[in-house]
Parts: sequence; structure tokens; C-alpha cells
Amino acid sequence: MTDKTILTVDDLALSYGSNPILKGVSMQLRRGEVVSLLGPSGSGKTTLLRAVAGLEQPHEGRVKIAGRTIYDGAAGIDVPAEKRDLGLVFQSYALWPHKTVFDNVAYPLKLRKVGTAEIAERVQAALKNLGLAHLAERYPHQLSGGQQQRVSIARALVYNPPVILLDEPLSNLDAKMREEARAWLRNLIVEMQLSALVVTHDQSEAMAMSDRILLLNGGVIEQQGTPQEMYSQPKTLFVADFMGSNNILKGRVAEIRGGEACVEVGEGLRLWGQRRNDAAVGQEVSVVVRVEQVRLAEGPAEHRVSIDLATSMFLGDRFEYVFHAGSALLRAWGSRQEASGRRWLEFPPDAVWVF
Amino acid sequence: MVAALALSVFFPLGLVFYQSVLSGPFFMPAARLSLEAFAFIFDDPDFWSATKNTLVIAVGMSVIAIPLGAILAFIMVRTDLPGRRWLETPILIPIFVSPVVLGFGYVVSLGPVGFFSVWFEQIFGSVPWNIYSMTSIVLIAGLTHVPHVYLYSSSALRNLGSDVEEAARLSGASPFRVARDVSIPMVSPALLYVGVLVFFLGFEIFGLPLILGDPEGHLVLTTYLYKLTNKLGTPSYHLMAAVATCIIAVTFPLVLLQRVLLKSAQRFVAVKGKSARQRRLALGGWKWVALALIGLWLLLTIVVPVAGVALRSVVSSWGAGINLLEVLTLDHFRAVFEEDTMIRSILNSVLIGTLGGAVAVVGYLLIGLATHRKPDGLSRFVDYVVLTPRAIPGLMAGLAVFWVFLFVPFLAPLRSTLFSVWFAYAVVWLAYGMRLIQSALMQVGPELEEAGRLVGASRARVSRDITVPLIRNGLLGSWLLIFMIFEREYSTGVYLLSPGTEVIGAQIVSLWASGAVDVVAALSLINMLLVGCGLALALRFGVKLHD
Repeated sequence: MTDKTILTVDDLALSYGSNPILKGVSMQLRRGEVVSLLGPSGSGKTTLLRAVAGLEQPHEGRVKIAGRTIYDGAAGIDVPAEKRDLGLVFQSYALWPHKTVFDNVAYPLKLRKVGTAEIAERVQAALKNLGLAHLAERYPHQLSGGQQQRVSIARALVYNPPVILLDEPLSNLDAKMREEARAWLRNLIVEMQLSALVVTHDQSEAMAMSDRILLLNGGVIEQQGTPQEMYSQPKTLFVADFMGSNNILKGRVAEIRGGEACVEVGEGLRLWGQRRNDAAVGQEVSVVVRVEQVRLAEGPAEHRVSIDLATSMFLGDRFEYVFHAGSALLRAWGSRQEASGRRWLEFPPDAVWVF
Repeated sequence: MVAALALSVFFPLGLVFYQSVLSGPFFMPAARLSLEAFAFIFDDPDFWSATKNTLVIAVGMSVIAIPLGAILAFIMVRTDLPGRRWLETPILIPIFVSPVVLGFGYVVSLGPVGFFSVWFEQIFGSVPWNIYSMTSIVLIAGLTHVPHVYLYSSSALRNLGSDVEEAARLSGASPFRVARDVSIPMVSPALLYVGVLVFFLGFEIFGLPLILGDPEGHLVLTTYLYKLTNKLGTPSYHLMAAVATCIIAVTFPLVLLQRVLLKSAQRFVAVKGKSARQRRLALGGWKWVALALIGLWLLLTIVVPVAGVALRSVVSSWGAGINLLEVLTLDHFRAVFEEDTMIRSILNSVLIGTLGGAVAVVGYLLIGLATHRKPDGLSRFVDYVVLTPRAIPGLMAGLAVFWVFLFVPFLAPLRSTLFSVWFAYAVVWLAYGMRLIQSALMQVGPELEEAGRLVGASRARVSRDITVPLIRNGLLGSWLLIFMIFEREYSTGVYLLSPGTEVIGAQIVSLWASGAVDVVAALSLINMLLVGCGLALALRFGVKLHD
């Protein structure tokens, strides 16, 4: 297990002046694994990536790559960025505008004193791998956004770094291209058996691309796990809220029965759900239900409530229904247009989480 | 509005061309169309030696100023040099000091009996330099133009996103390789632009060669033109116009070239990423070398001449064996304040800087608003009109304006008023002022103006209620910068000098010719103090000295 670990971050802390950005983050990346750093803006995910790259200055903790310590606050080790041998794909791609595509990709090899013939061969191979062979003589401004991104990936991969770091790799592409690029990138990483650390703020991107997700919040790791774990077993309200589309209702615990609790969320609206913390009867809680878990039902039954449908919206692949639940709005998805009026809604108790 | 602008620019220029193909001054009835003025100057060996000297100076100062300015910019912008913040302003000072004052400062500091020469001789026995040689002129011209190079290369370096540098670091490049392979190549368009600019300024240079080149007879084109004034006994306007035409034939293409280069430089910068915090290059032990380099340059370019002027203005005479304390005096200032023309020149200078500067800024603003975000043919035309005066050295622009006021009957009464001087100044600095205004205007988000239009305001209303209030600070800054530039100006007023239109700069040039060193020293100091006041105010209000 440990010999498969290629990147270890241990208790890393970093601040700008008196403002702490990372408050002791620990993580591991195994060989051939893709890990996403996910979180809202200001959570420290980009800072963590840049600290690993050697572009930010931590003041505490340790970073090890392939068994080699590259940062150790206590021992005073701080290997400069150019000696860390990492590949980084910048959010802006950071292609050098005065060099051709070929020269951009060749530069890292030139710095490593690789012979001219070998450089040509390896650069051509890298460009071909990424479908860029015909663009070698172009300048960056003559390429589309997607092509620029590929060049910047080729540049980061050409010297076979043990770990590749990607900073919001898809955020500069437009929405439609992003989904295609996501699949392409995941496929590339798997095919080339890369170990990758990816920063993203988009939860669906993180789930699609990675083997494991680290969700950061305010400079600490809130939860980590596989995409399925993160999505279906959130440990905190923050994680539940961040992953997926949710209905969140405020209420008061009315009754507790083993691992389940009944919450009163408004006039006569009572929901049974999984207890996710130890809130006692009478306490204020939040109820989280994924939008896709709420179902329109035909008539009364257990775990069904009668509620007012305000409107339905057509989203292309489905309809979204908006209900009035007291002062709050509830959302659910379905496949048909529905007229407004009184409706029955089903809340499966194992999909309702009480925090 | 545009017609008035075009007339103000092209009429004087046209008059110069017209005059250059006449056989005598245009007001003489005997003058007829001919090329004899050109034949005369092309026959004059002085013209060719002046041309050669001009080229030597232009090339020499580019060779000195560009590497020094680029290195200075790299040190200031990309390294962790201690005290950078304090050095920024002193570095830019030479731009705001009148070259004629600087030249005078070098004469009284490093000339044959200059303060530093005499001290140096007392210690080492002899002085190894000759301030009047071509080498010295080139060296001084080069050193005093370092700030121009610094301005452009530092802003280009600042605009460079640090992601491209970080990408190079990650690829395995050391900080010095990053500078060599990425940072410097990426600002090379800016360096090319500034190279052309400095070369062009070499053609315009007047104050330094006037003062330093005279004793040994080194003429450049501008001083040759100045000397022509009375060459033939009668006013030799046609000859001067011919020289002016020759100079413009070189400078105008250079100005157009600069424009093209500036555009391509901006295109280059446009390919930049999100620039994050820049981590500065740690200099370590090299910081002492860098500080020594900057200190030496500041000493030579600012401290030596400025101290010379200040000292010379408070001693009655100076030479070997004179004790400084025995010759201290305030007589020169007393002399200045006892003479009406001197008092008038000071008052006029202040007036033209404050009120004249304000009126000029309003004028530039009106032109700027008329073409603001209107990408039509008229705006492009105005762009070129505004650029044209840039190609005409101040000395000739002043001359051309003087001719206009001579030529046009209804303007004649204004010739010996301060208006003629103000008009010349405003036209000469049109391009500079417009750049200030346009960069302020560009700060206003287009959507703010569009919102104004959509809620029902006319273009003029939007300008008055939205655009102008939003650029208030930019206008104040422009006014202060124009104030300093107008105080510094000396060559434009030379031909317009008459009782009632005296300004300090032109007064110094004319007094220098008569050898009144004492008064020149006092006036120079007063001139520097006025510019200093402007600079202090500008810094107080946080005006950026460059864009």
C-alpha cells in the first residue's frame, strides 16, 4: 500500500500574512490514481496545488514525491519549483506566446539537456499522442482554446513527471466543449496511467474524472473518499450540500426512533429521515434530500405528503417541478408536464438526511 | 472641433513646407518658389557634420540607454531589491527636468572649472574627462534617457503574467534562465518600440548639445537650425524651414513606426493569463551590485547636475583655489527678482503651467470625448492628426507657430501675448496629453456608458454625467503631469520670446547665449523647484507618473 503512494502531503499549513489559507492538510496520491481537490472558492484548493508545485510558500508540514522529500518546514527543506520535476497544467495554459507549439513542448527537454534528435522525436510523439502533430509550427495565439489546453498538457507530460498537476483544466473551455474534454482527459489519464492531482470547483467534473475526491472547506479537508461515497454518504451538511442538487429544509426534530428521526418542517409537513448527527427532540436541524430522490406519487401512502405544485419547468431531458413547502421551495424532477395544484410527493426515508 | 484641431496641426506644418520651397522669407515680396534653400544647406559642410553628429548621438544613446533601462526595469519589477519603492520616483526624475537645465548642471559640475572637476583635480591631480567632447555628449544623452526605456520596459514586465514564468520554473528553468528564455523575449516588442523611441528622441535632442556642444563646435541638426537664425544677416527662414523639413522627413516615419510597434506590442501582451501574485526573484548577494549600479547611475544623472545647479546659484564665482564658504551669496536671486523680465518669466511660467495646463487638459478632454469609443473614420483621422506634432521637435513647432502668428493678419496682435506660447505648447504636447486622457477614458467600463445611453441619455449627456465624473482623478493627474511638462519645456518658446511672452525655459536658452551664468543658475534652480512642486503634489495625490 505505502509503496504505491507517490505523493504525500503531511499537515501542510500556509498563510498570507496573518490570514491562514491552509490549516494543516494531509493527503496521499497513489500511483495511477486521479485525485480531485474540490471546494468552493477560497477553500485553499488551488493554494494546496501550488504549494505542492513549489509556487507558494508553506510554513509548516511536509511534502514527499516518489519517496523524495521536497518540502519539510521543520527540517528547512524547500526544493525550488524547477527541481521538483512536476508537471503543471495551468488554468490559463500559460503557453509562451513567443515560442511555437513545438518549442513550447521542447523547452523542458532542452533544459534537461536532451539531445536535439531525441527532443524532436519525443516532442513529436507527445504532440501526436494529443492529436496536435499537425500544429507543431503554429504559435499559441493561432490555436483554439481546446488546442491550447492540449499543448499545455503535452508540455507538462513530455518529461514524464511522476505526478501531473492540473489547475482547473476545463474552466477555460465553453460549456459544451467541457463535457467532451472531460471524457477525453479522463481517458488520456487512464490510458497513460498518469498520477494526477486535479483542482476543480465543479462537483460533477470532480466525480466524473477522479478516483478519489478531497473536499476542502476553509483550509481543511472536510471529507475524502470515492465519488460514490462522497455523493451518497456525506458526513456533514457542507458535503451533502456541495455534492449534488439538493432540497434543504429547516425544521425541528419531533420524534426519534433508532437511527431515524421525524422532522417537522412546516405546517403539518413531517418527514422521516436518517439521523446524521445527535440532534435531540426539539432541536433545530436541516433536512437534505437530493432533488432526484423526491418523486411525484399518485395517492397517499407512508412517507408521502400532500403539497402545492407552483409551476413546472422544461429542462430538455426532464421537467423540474417547484412546490411550496411553507415559506421554502421544494424541487423534484419528472418526465411529464404537470399542471399546478395539490399533489402527493414521496420522500424515501433512506434518502432523507437529517443534520 | 475636428476641423479646428486639424487646422492647428496642419497649418503650421504646411507653412514650414511652403517656406522650405521659397527663395526667401515668406513675407518678402521677392520670395518665389525654388529649391535653393535645400541646395544651400546640402552644400553646407556644417549641415553634414550636424547630420553625422545627430546620427552618432541617436545611435549612441540607444546603445547606452536601452540595456541600462531594461536591466533597471528587470531589477525593479522582478527582483526583491530592498528599497524598490523609494527608488521608483528618483529614477523618473530626469524625464521631468529640463534638458537645458541638466546640460547647464553638467557644465557647472563637470566642466573645466566645474565643482566636481575642481575637487577631483585637487585630490587626483588631473581630470580625465572632457565634458564638451562628443563622447561626453553621447554618454550624458544616453544616461538621461534611461528613464524612458525604464518606463516602457517596466510596464511591459509588470503586465507579464507570472504564470508563463511559473510554467518555465516547473519545466526546470532556474530564475536566470526564466529571465533569459521567457521574460525578456516576451517584452522584446516593448524593447523594440522603446529603441525606436529613443532613436527618435536622439533626432529631437536640443538642450544638451546646445550647451555642451557649443564650446567645441559640435552641432546637431536642431542646434544647426538654431544657429541658422542669423546666418545670412537677414532672417533665413527658408533655410530653417528646409532643415526642419529634413528632420521631419526622418522623424515622421519613426513616429509612424512607433505606432505600429506599440500596437503589435500590445497584441503580444494580450496573450496573457490570469496573473497571480508574483514571487520575486531573490537577489541574495547580488543586491549590493544592483544597488551600486542604480546608485552610480542616480549620482551621475541626477545628483551631480542638480547639485551643480543648486550650488552655482548661491556662489558669486567659482574656480580652482576658491573657498566655497567665502563666495556664498544670494545676489543672483536678488538680481532675478529685481528685474521685471525675470519676474515676468517666472509668473508667465507658473501661469502657463497652471491655467494654461488646465485649459490644455480641457481641450484634450474635448477631443478625447469626441472620439471616445467611436471606431469610425473620423476617429482614426483624429488619431493621426494628434500624432503628427509628435514628429516636429519643439524648437521648430515654436518657429512654425511664430510664423502662423506672423502670417495670419488677424492673429498678429496675439503674437506677443502669452497665448501664442500656450498655443505652441498645447500643440507640441498634443500627443502626450491625448495619451493621458485616452488612458483615463479607457478606465471607464463601457457598460457604464451603455447603461447611461439605454436609460435615455444622449452621448453628450453620458459624457457629462457619467464619463467625466468617473475620470476626475485621471484629469487631475493629467493636469499635474502637463503642468510639469509645461514648466520643463524650453525649446518651443525660443522663437516666441518677446517682451510679454517670456517663460523660464526660453529665457535660459537666450540668457545662456549671452553668457549670464549667474542668472541662468538662479533661474534653473527656480525652474527645478517649480517642477519639484508639481512632482510633490502629484505624489501627494497618488498620480501615477506613467501608465
